[in-house]
Amino acid sequence: MTELSRRSLLKASGCALAAATSPLIFNQTAQAQEKGVHEIINDLIRKYATEAKDGFSNESVAALYEKDGFADFLADYPIGDLAGGYKWEIGAGAEFTGQYSKLPIKAPFTDYIPLPEGQVLNPEKKYRIGFAFHGFNHPWLVALADTGAWEALRHSNIEIEVIDCEYDDNKMTQIIDNWIAQEFDGITLWPLREAPMTPVVERAADAGIPIVTIDRRTLTPKVSSEIVGNFYANGLQEGLYLKHVLQGGNMILNRKSLGGTADAIRTGSFFQAIGNVPGFNIIGNYHDDSDRARAFRNTADALQAFDNIAISFNTGGEEALAALDAMREAKRLYTGPDGKKIVILSNDEPHELMEELREGNIDMTAPYTPFLGDLAVRLVILHIGAKEGLNEAPDKLIMTPNLPMITKEPMVIEGIQTLTSDQWPYPYGPKTG
Amino acid sequence: MNISTGDLARIVSILLIILVGFLFAPRFATFENIRVILLSVAGLGIVTYGMTVVVISGEIDLSVAGTAALAGIVGALVIDTNSTFLVVGLTLATGAAIGFANGFLSTVFGIPSLIVTLAMLQILRSLASIVSNGQAFHPDSLVGFLWLGRGILFGIPISVITLILITIAMILFTRRTVYSRRLYATGGGIRAAHLSGVNTVRVKITAFVICGVTASLAGIFESARLSYIEPGAYVGMELEALAATVLGGAALAGGSGSIQGALLATLIIGLMQNLLNQLGVNFYLQQVVTALVILAVVLPGIRKRDIAK
Repeated sequence: MTELSRRSLLKASGCALAAATSPLIFNQTAQAQEKGVHEIINDLIRKYATEAKDGFSNESVAALYEKDGFADFLADYPIGDLAGGYKWEIGAGAEFTGQYSKLPIKAPFTDYIPLPEGQVLNPEKKYRIGFAFHGFNHPWLVALADTGAWEALRHSNIEIEVIDCEYDDNKMTQIIDNWIAQEFDGITLWPLREAPMTPVVERAADAGIPIVTIDRRTLTPKVSSEIVGNFYANGLQEGLYLKHVLQGGNMILNRKSLGGTADAIRTGSFFQAIGNVPGFNIIGNYHDDSDRARAFRNTADALQAFDNIAISFNTGGEEALAALDAMREAKRLYTGPDGKKIVILSNDEPHELMEELREGNIDMTAPYTPFLGDLAVRLVILHIGAKEGLNEAPDKLIMTPNLPMITKEPMVIEGIQTLTSDQWPYPYGPKTG
Repeated sequence: MNISTGDLARIVSILLIILVGFLFAPRFATFENIRVILLSVAGLGIVTYGMTVVVISGEIDLSVAGTAALAGIVGALVIDTNSTFLVVGLTLATGAAIGFANGFLSTVFGIPSLIVTLAMLQILRSLASIVSNGQAFHPDSLVGFLWLGRGILFGIPISVITLILITIAMILFTRRTVYSRRLYATGGGIRAAHLSGVNTVRVKITAFVICGVTASLAGIFESARLSYIEPGAYVGMELEALAATVLGGAALAGGSGSIQGALLATLIIGLMQNLLNQLGVNFYLQQVVTALVILAVVLPGIRKRDIAK
């Protein structure tokens, strides 16, 4: 006899619901297939950015959006097509072991502006490339360096010098100045802050050295290429998911450093997505400077201050994991409205977070891959080639593909087909115990 | 037991914060919130005790964050053994060894502890990144280890029980032992102590070892609570511990300070941070307010010392 468990009933009702709504899902999926996810998300970004110009009906969101000046940050953040008509698909990319992390990696964009393995440019010549970044103590940043080193190692006449500038703009400036003095052939950097790195990027450009920024930008047009990440897609998808699953509720915000690109663009675009849903109410707004212990403490304190939290918005994976741990410690994970789970929204995709997502403890994450170093090295090689008359220079602005959000179950939200943890082959960092 | 003027000022400050919380944050004065505050300050309290001992000896230890980070990473290297005893033992032993190195370099070689420990902070942080390949460890399968940060005994979190036990032990240690008299004598006037037959080198090295052990212990509680051991953690721990030490009444010139003062100071910082969070005060403004409170509490003590001079 078939046992009727609650789970089997839920499964059956889920199937019935899926069948009933299948034309809708089919249409949305078809739309998703016609356009790539990059274009679909870009269209949504443009739509919500346009709507935001008329203001928000949600006063709580509008007030903070205005106070933190998100409109200015968002207006300056570039949105556009991928170089050379590139179409990214899930599963693309190469697998290797990280030079520094010693961890297995699958990097998603290794075939974006690709270079064949082996010697590049003038085979008679050795090329020296400097790779300046911050943070051999952070999984995301180590992964960035891993991919840069991987690309350089594929080309026997490329030498790469990878330097950790330890979150010190002055140190990064000194190192790049030193590379300029040594007449390096090309430089790539992950600038921590925009303004302080602008002069040294200009000095490199003035010295005729191609220079490429990764993920974050500087304030000079002299930079050879800028690789722009998808912060906008991150925050927007957090908002789209939220209004897909809830129409209102009290919300606490766990944010990175005020004024930083990650915080401003993600939080700002999140607000653009939910700004016209009147039911959301921001009751707590915290910053943690990317310190997981501080994020934990902020959530622990918020849980004491408020007993009616429905949503935890987080600008990064560290914040989301800390929020989850604080809720567990306070036994408050299932204290949302009507005893439901507090919805936890996240960005980033370390293994640890993917595991929590798989178990349904974190509701969604918008990926922001650290595997961008290879692209930067390829770009700088191509700029060196252009300088030597061997190839055309790549575009100045290099957009990275918008990546679809990851949810526990596959969903279609405003045309975006979400992926599950198991479908995402690009997590980073160490696996959990 | 005599209560010093400084401790009285700290107790009044605590009562004032509680009063403000009671009036303006309705959920501040609840048992659950007190539990959260004590959990938050357990690690800071423990490392502040170590820092206080070093400061009483007339030295300073700015390497505590690096010590906690490297000691945690070294301990995490044996996570696969599934032995909490081994992980904790190795972590504490590493902390003690780093403390010994700090003490040895600053006393035997005569390099000011400010410079030694500042350099050590840099070295230890870098070593933590090198040893871990920049990756965090997840002690999820180490039940005993996680219990230290998340466990509860008789309704009280283990880390809070540990804080209480260490507080009692440290009060006795800094009041009732021969070492404590030598410690205050060394910090109060190293030449006089030396001429009186005190082995000041041993006293100072011991103080640094205590500080190293407390820093690594604080790291254990913090990482067990988060189930996350990372090489880049504890940023700013040295300044927070130093602030609590000074707020607790220890003079940076050495020779004065107490564990009960350090405990009260830690509570002030914990209560302040919690209250400001509950009141929704901006994170950056919180740091300004906390610093101003530290200045306000410390100032009368400094003026009193100046007058005494």
